[in-house]
Amino acid sequence: MLEIKDLHAGVDGTEIVKGISLSVNKGEVHAIMGPNGSGKSTLAKILSGHPAYEATSGEIIFDGKNLLEMDAEERSLAGVFMGFQYPVEVPGVNNAEFLRMAHNARRVKAGEEEVDPLDFDELLSEKMKMLGMEKKYKERNLNDGFSGGEKKKNEILQMAILEPKLSLLDETDSGLDIDALRIVSEGVNKLRSENNALILITHYQRLLDYIKPDFVHVLSQGKIVKSGDKALAIELESQGYDWVTTAD
Amino acid sequence: MSETIVESTEETAFLDLHKKFVEENKSSSALSAIHESALSRFEMLGFPHSKHEMYTYVNTKKLAATTFAVSNPSAKIDLIEKHIYSGCENSCLVFVNGVLDRSLSKLKDIESSVKISSLEEKSDTDTLLESVENENDVFACLTNAFCSDVTVVEVPDKGQVAVPIQALFVSTGNTSLPEMHSPRLLWKVGKLAEVKVIEKFVGMQEGYFTNMVEDWRVAEGAGVVLTQVQSDPFGAWNFHKTRVHIKRNARFHSANASSGSVLVHNHFEVRLEEEGAEVILNGVSVLKGKEQVHNFIRIHHEAPQCISHQHFKNVINDEGRSSFDGTVIVNQGAQLTSANQLINNLMLSDDCHADNKPNLMIFADDVKCAHGATIGQIDEDQLFYLQTRGLSKKFAKELLTRSFAESIVQTIQFSEVVKELSNTLLKKLEVENV
Ligand SMILES: Nc1ncnc2c1ncn2[C@@H]1O[C@H](COP(=O)(O)OP(=O)(O)OP(=O)(O)O)[C@@H](O)[C@H]1O
Ligand SMILES: [Mg+2]
Repeated sequence: MLEIKDLHAGVDGTEIVKGISLSVNKGEVHAIMGPNGSGKSTLAKILSGHPAYEATSGEIIFDGKNLLEMDAEERSLAGVFMGFQYPVEVPGVNNAEFLRMAHNARRVKAGEEEVDPLDFDELLSEKMKMLGMEKKYKERNLNDGFSGGEKKKNEILQMAILEPKLSLLDETDSGLDIDALRIVSEGVNKLRSENNALILITHYQRLLDYIKPDFVHVLSQGKIVKSGDKALAIELESQGYDWVTTAD
Repeated sequence: MSETIVESTEETAFLDLHKKFVEENKSSSALSAIHESALSRFEMLGFPHSKHEMYTYVNTKKLAATTFAVSNPSAKIDLIEKHIYSGCENSCLVFVNGVLDRSLSKLKDIESSVKISSLEEKSDTDTLLESVENENDVFACLTNAFCSDVTVVEVPDKGQVAVPIQALFVSTGNTSLPEMHSPRLLWKVGKLAEVKVIEKFVGMQEGYFTNMVEDWRVAEGAGVVLTQVQSDPFGAWNFHKTRVHIKRNARFHSANASSGSVLVHNHFEVRLEEEGAEVILNGVSVLKGKEQVHNFIRIHHEAPQCISHQHFKNVINDEGRSSFDGTVIVNQGAQLTSANQLINNLMLSDDCHADNKPNLMIFADDVKCAHGATIGQIDEDQLFYLQTRGLSKKFAKELLTRSFAESIVQTIQFSEVVKELSNTLLKKLEVENV
């Protein structure tokens, strides 16, 4: 589904991602861990098409298409979803309306009819219930004044509404309290299928207890320095990153 | 050099026009007194030169140099129904070329609760004269000098006006010889009375100068909700002075939506005269082409524990131009004042222009005041975020600009006006290069 080949990328001429290769297949869950500033979010932004970040060499192929040649909106419509580490606040844009517009943009792309507000409201209520979100978040403006945890829940709500093929969740677990983490993780698990894939960026083993990864990668200074299975995450939690980053 | 005031040709032209106006209009003695007083004020102030405090950001040279005819109030007009808001069909005052037209006005729903007259009572004339003598805005002086009538709208003590009153200002316009219209109103809102008013400005064609002044006297405990909708064609000037005096515990909440023209000037002068008075002034404009909207605001906190809020937003594209010059003056003794003032400009092109001068002058020590002004472009991070959810760049930009302006539109309490503005003012944002 996703093939990253020797990707080099950065911002303003500074290289941050320094040769990453990663292959993700349908149905898989990958976890990316690594110290602060190692380039995890940068990789996520490159994947989602942020205009400030530039890939200098390498390739990203998604479903046979060259992702780097696509706009952010095209990537989204093709089925890539990015759950941001720091979701942007958009005052003045109603949350429920925004979600409906995003949902309909995807439907139109798929050649389906737009959903009217009433029908959408039903779908939205169901997804919000799944994530333990109160109704009031429909009326609120998009992430405007949301707490850290509320913003993360709202990201997962968007994922639930958009039903992407590939989701990248950048530290969705930070900011969530223990109960919220469990509920959100269960929600994410419900959205999983053998046709979609998940990349989790996290610092904590805790999340991986709920959403079991098939692969764990350690990113350090813009490179994947170690890959393994879930056991690697457990080891990292007890020993820290030093033993992998210095061993390289 | 002699000490006598030597008028420039521009002022002389208006003085000559005034002579003609006086000859052609038989005014009552009360009105004549107002005209006379206003004319001497006009001569004293003169048209703005480059450093004029009130018109620092507004170029009025062309307007002052234009040859005007005085309006023709008996002009035939048609199709005003489409400008009357639903709910105001039987509570609308229609002004044609600046003068109240009794036959077009429909007052059935407010006959019993509101009194509408011309200057009849001596106390009204006195109120007006005081206002005229203290007028510092030279264009407002012109209104006072050229008004052929003063419409006095009175809501008695404890009066509750069940339906909103609409005041519609229609100009016929004359492209070969532009006309000057001088609507002059006095609103008297009695103790504990409540009234909601929508003022709307439209023109049948270009070529006119609506130069309006309205005085509001809001008595103790009264409440006023005022909405002003400016939607003149591009080639029409609209100058509008709103002067408000607010007594103890009374409220005056207003929202102004200006769609701009060759020159729109909104001037608010508000005096919070007694304890607990409150004013809210909101404003929004969406400008394209060479449209301009300028706001000039002076709020005087003259008593303790008064509240003033101002929030103005402008979306400016192409070569549009706006300015905000607002000062809150907190007098000595106006303790526990709460005042804030916020101006946000969203700039959509390289050639648009916005001037901002928010200002606080505080002479009391125990006050809570805040002010700020922002000038910004569309937030790139917000734009990107929306795009990552599958919204096209064009649509996302439109959504962001629209929501920027909408937050003020939504403060308007009349859903009919909100609905209309969504299809007019906010529609202006749906252009290819936004
Ligand atoms: N827009 C930018 N301008 C300048 N430097 C940047 C920019 N974005 C990222 N960087 C730098 O690139 C490096 C990698 O940042 P990135 O956010 O990808 O780290 P991360 O692995 O996600 O860290 P964390 O675990 O703290 O979230 C950091 O040194 C960061 O300061
Ligand atoms: Mg990060």
